[in-house]
Amino acid sequence: MSETQFLEQVRASQGIIYKLVALYAADPEEKKDLYQEVLLQAWKAWPSFRGDAKFSTWLYRICLNTILTQKRKNNPVEYKESLEPVSPVIEHSSIQRENSVSLQKAIRQLSETDRALISMHLDGYDNSEIGDILGISGNHVAVKLHRCKQQLTNLLTA
Amino acid sequence: MSEQDDTDLSQLLQPGRLKKLHSSNPLQKIKFYLIVSVIWAVLISGLYIYIMLRFPQWPVVLCLGVVLLFTVWSGYKAYVLYKNVNPLVTGNSLLAEMEKQYEGINAWMELQMRVAVFIYPVAAAGGFMIGGMIGSGKSIAFFLSKPPVIFALIICILVLVPVCIWFAKWLFRKSFGKHLVTLKENIDALKGVD
Repeated sequence: MSETQFLEQVRASQGIIYKLVALYAADPEEKKDLYQEVLLQAWKAWPSFRGDAKFSTWLYRICLNTILTQKRKNNPVEYKESLEPVSPVIEHSSIQRENSVSLQKAIRQLSETDRALISMHLDGYDNSEIGDILGISGNHVAVKLHRCKQQLTNLLTA
Repeated sequence: MSEQDDTDLSQLLQPGRLKKLHSSNPLQKIKFYLIVSVIWAVLISGLYIYIMLRFPQWPVVLCLGVVLLFTVWSGYKAYVLYKNVNPLVTGNSLLAEMEKQYEGINAWMELQMRVAVFIYPVAAAGGFMIGGMIGSGKSIAFFLSKPPVIFALIICILVLVPVCIWFAKWLFRKSFGKHLVTLKENIDALKGVD
């Protein structure tokens, strides 16, 4: 398996890295560090990728595992360039974009594990897949998702 | 800026860049510290053996012999931990991955603390006696026959050992304390522990 093949696969799914790092990095410097660490860990783990799952799902796991086991700065600060829409909407009107940025800001205020949970939910993973990635049951995911949505509603209407 | 324009990420996705990256994963660092500890344990053991041969007086040999045993033991434990710590992030569940890291860091911390508790008192006593012997130019038996010296030795151990243990704990908290707290919080959050 060559580096070129690996890079091709990652380029096709780089939005995952971009989006997840943007949810956790406290500043541009930390963002760069996390990109590097995620890519390095994915590269090292790639020989163990057997293709049982989709590459994007596997990358999602590696990305989340790397970010949440990495030493990071404690107080997240907002940096403008990372505030991008969190869902893959092709065309944004200014209102849609504003709503999406507000959602992104609200998600950043959730706890670290809830951010992962809601991000996967918005990316279309079902409860059982989310549970599998996080290491908890599908029912537990459903309960946590319900709480997250309530929290997000409160944050967005405050 | 859109994700397609993120130059930081795009630059990393060029051929040849991956080989230049270095991991800053905490377990990777701990693995490095562990192998450094093993090397130090070997070097220090050699030094202890030299001192025992150079100053063959029974209190020195006894103290350093005990310290030597603990040093060899701690070096061995560090080596075993070094072999068991896996710094590579895997495709396992997030919970399993965080628990692996939490346990790895704690195992390292416990090893350091055990070494501190066993070695510091004997090392302090050994250092005091060798220092006293060289400084006074007398034998250790003569040096230790004076009650004020015994009293000073006890004070030295009582003060130095807690200070060193406190300092070791402080260094550990500074290096990994916040990270461990965050890991524990995230593990508990996923498990649903309030």
